[in-house]
Order: sequence, then C-alpha cells, then structure tokens
Amino acid sequence: MNFALLSLATPLFSGLLLLLCDRALKTGTVAFWAIVSTVVSLAAAWLALQDVVDAGTSIMLNLGGWETGLAIRLRLSSLSALLLVFTALMHLLIGLYAGLSRQGIARDYWPLSCFLHGSLAALWLSADLFNLYITLELLGLTAVAMVALSGKKAYKPAANYLILSLAASLFYLLGVALLYGRYGELDVLLLAPRTEADVITRLALLLMTTGLMLKAALWPLHLWLPPAHTSAPTAVSALLSGLVVKGPLFILWVLWSEVAPPELAQQIGPVLAIAGMIALTAGGLSAMRSPYIKTVVAYSTVAQLGYALMALGLLLTWQLPQMHIALWLFVIAHGLAKASLFLAAGEMQSSLGTRRVEGLRGATQTVPVAMFAFAVAGGSLIGLPPSGGFLAKWVLLEPLLSQPGNWPWAIGVLLGTLVSAAYIFRVVALSFDRARINPPDINPDRVGHWLALLPALMVWGMALSGEWLIQLLAGGGV
Amino acid sequence: MTAIELYLTLGVAVFLLSLHGLMTLHDPIRRLIAVNLMGAGTFLVMVSLAKRTEVPDPVLHALVVTGLVVAISATAFALRLIIAANKDDATTSEDSAQR
Repeated sequence: MNFALLSLATPLFSGLLLLLCDRALKTGTVAFWAIVSTVVSLAAAWLALQDVVDAGTSIMLNLGGWETGLAIRLRLSSLSALLLVFTALMHLLIGLYAGLSRQGIARDYWPLSCFLHGSLAALWLSADLFNLYITLELLGLTAVAMVALSGKKAYKPAANYLILSLAASLFYLLGVALLYGRYGELDVLLLAPRTEADVITRLALLLMTTGLMLKAALWPLHLWLPPAHTSAPTAVSALLSGLVVKGPLFILWVLWSEVAPPELAQQIGPVLAIAGMIALTAGGLSAMRSPYIKTVVAYSTVAQLGYALMALGLLLTWQLPQMHIALWLFVIAHGLAKASLFLAAGEMQSSLGTRRVEGLRGATQTVPVAMFAFAVAGGSLIGLPPSGGFLAKWVLLEPLLSQPGNWPWAIGVLLGTLVSAAYIFRVVALSFDRARINPPDINPDRVGHWLALLPALMVWGMALSGEWLIQLLAGGGV
Repeated sequence: MTAIELYLTLGVAVFLLSLHGLMTLHDPIRRLIAVNLMGAGTFLVMVSLAKRTEVPDPVLHALVVTGLVVAISATAFALRLIIAANKDDATTSEDSAQR
C-alpha cells in the first residue's frame, strides 16, 4: 500500500511544488521535474502491483489510523494497481511528447498534468462514495483548466464543459446523499451487503448513473465531448480522451457491480448494453461524416466508449467474469490507441497546415511516421489482431458467440467494428491518394512524429503480455 | 408532513427547477447560477437528512461544508473563464467594427 500512496503523492506534491516555484524555474526545468515525478510514480505503481499480486487479495488502508466506519478507506486491488500503472504510463508517454516535440505546450501544462495524475490515482484508490465525489470534482476542474490552456478560443468550450461537469457532479452528490440518508454508510464495502432494491436506492442509483454517464460522455449524454476535446491542445486532448473519461466509468463500475443490489444490476445491465451498442454505431457514423481530423478522433472516443459500456452492461446482466476482463482491457487498449491517434492527428495538422480530413491527401508520403501511427492505432480501435483492441474484443466476443441466444449482442459488436473500420479507413485511404498531394512543412518535426507512434506500438505490444493481463484481471476481480 | 419531509421536498424541487433552468437557458452566467442553485438544493436535502436522528448527523454537515468549498472554488473558476471568453468576444467585435 505504501508504494500506491507514493504513486499518488509524488505527482500531487510535485504539482504543488512546481506551482509554488513557478517564477524561479525555467520552462525546461519544470518539464524535466514533471517527467521525473511521473517516472517515480510509474515505478511506485509497478511495485504496488507486485505487492498486490503477492498478497493475492486487495489491501485496505484506513487513512489517519481511524477505525473502519469512521476512516476514509483506500483500497488497492489488482485492478486499481493496474490502473495506477496505466495512468502513470500514459502521463509519461504524453509528457515526453509535450516536452520534446517542437509543437510544445504552455508551461502551465506541467503542474496541471501532475494534478490530473494525482486526482486519477486517488480515484482508482478510493473506496468511499464521498471521496469518489471529491476526486471526480478534482478531475473535472483540472481537465477544464487544461482545455483552457490552448488560449482564448478555448474559453467558451471550457466554460461549457465546466458547467456541465459541475451539474453532473451534483447529480452524483444528490445520489450519495440519498444513499447515506437511507443506510448511514459511505464506505463501499460496508454499504455493499446492506443495499436493498427499494425506491430510495433506485432513485439514488439512477441519479448517480445519470451524473456519471454525463461525465464519462456515454451515449446519449456525449454531446459535450467533441467540442471540449478538440479545442484543447494536442497533448491535453490525448489525456482527456485516453484517461479522464475512464474515471467516471470506474465509479460507474464500482457503483453497479459492488454497491447496487444484484437484482437491480441485472435490470439495468441490458439498458446499458443497448446504450453502448447505439453509441458504437451513432458515434462511428458521426466520426465518419466529420470534416475535421480531430473531430473524427473525438467522435471515435464516443464510439469506443460504447464497447466499454456494453461490456459493463453484459457484466451486470450475466455476472460473467470474462466481461470484467473485457471491460478493463478495452479501457487500457483504448487509452493507449487514443493517445497515439490524437498525437498523430495534432502532428499532421501542424505539419500539413490543415485541420480538415481532406488535407491529408498524400500523407503516407509527406508525413509517413505520423500517418503510420494513426493507422496502427486505428488498427487497434478496429480490433485487428494482434493488437490490444483485438485482445479485448476477443474476450468480449467469446462468451457471446458460444451461445446462440447471445448472437444479437455479437452482431452489435461486429457492426461497431465495421463502422470503426469505415472511419479509420476513410482517413487512411485518403492519405494514399498521391494525385493531389497537400505539400508539407519543409522541415517536419521527426521527434514529434516518432513520439506519437510510441503509444501505438505499446498497444500492439499489449498482445504479447495478453495472458498476464487476463490472469491479473481474472485473479483479483474486486 | 413533517418539517424534515417539507425541507426534503423543497430541496428536490429547487434541484429540479434549476435543472430545468440549466437545460433551457443559454447565457453562461445564468447557467452557472442554475448550477449553483442545483447545489443549494442538494445541500438542503443533505442538511435536512442530517436531522433525521435525535442528534443531528455530523457526517452530513461535514459533507455539506466540503461540498460548499468545492462549489465556491468551481464557481470562481467558471466566472473567470466566462468573463475571459466574453472579453475576447467584445474585443474581436470592436476590431471588426473598426475595420
């Protein structure tokens, strides 16, 4: 547990320090320390993962030494340890890009990304409904501040994002208040055995689910996502799409798989799964029609979150452990692939001087590495073997195909695959069009292009460690 | 209807009314006020729930205080963003008027 706390505290305190010493440091030094703290946090998260694997069960910590019931408890399960590693790895990859690519980033990015890292780490470790609310607010506020980094034109989308995010948090908070009023507990593990399927519990769960679905941009509450994610600077878009929307998803999972009584979870399961299926198709179709590169990538987040929502819905309906594995494999594979897609899109935008998909003609020739990153990451979103996306989709499809009664769901998954293939191939096919090439910048930023490729290579590397990941997720379900 | 039930109903009513406001209004400041009223409704529910036992429940009071801190800082941040965005609008329209 100490390593997990270290992994949480390092980015938090380095963020504070960087903010306090802002005047005294050069931009390069700020970036260097932020990246060093991410590396420390990554190492600590890895050691925490080893700890929890050795222990075999989840490890609890009562903050401040108070007794259970009074203490705000932290919980390190194998899943939260894995998510800690994932968060630190994403911050490292995107931080390296932000620090080394020529496109650069405003210097306020560094303390903010440290805070984002810290609040996500706190979210994965929390086992208390109110503490989860606090981490949710921290996450929202930092994310909005990061959107505003790209200057005046982003203030309006940022303000909209903030207002929606606050409203969503209040939905969640009202639900927490009702649950506390009914049961007198906030701790997830103490609350879990006591919940009953009565009116107040239903109302509370409904309110919390609405708020969380709005925060995670799950269909049909996703409309705020494309403007907010596209107006942010490139590195921030990658963090927002790859990590931030996964936080509320995690709380949604905790809420329904642990807190909610099983009979209610079985009722909501199919609803969530159908919403996921619609998200897959609707998000994919919007991505296919969008004229701007970044909007394609942003709508593809809406579509891909549909897979996660579907896995969650089917997990609740059938209580199948495979769905739990599929859900978190999707989250990790999508995070890495989406980081690569956004970074590649940003690099191509600046190298080719266009924001439109049409401007990518001949990109395989003019910006080969960035286009390769886009195609490779897109391959994982489609689920081409042997990528991380394929791994997740295979785990999801296996139980669906084995029983004929489940085939309608499988058709939904395959339809989603078809649509994602359509919007990825639309971009890739255009980039092979060498007839009317859009001329590139004379001196392209090679480092930036290669750094955009790095997360995509990692998502394909996920297949190599697939068995280990599946066993890890299967072993410590909770 | 007991006093607690009355306050609970009032809290939920304030929450729903301001939710309606949030969904129908367009001016960002009004929307921000609507969100703040949603917060007020939530806190009213929490404070009245605290009175359901003989000795008022201190946990809910602590939650409300924490919630207020979050609400105040978020409101300050949102106001700053909205003002900055509108200032930008004003200068660009002046610029275009001069041209």
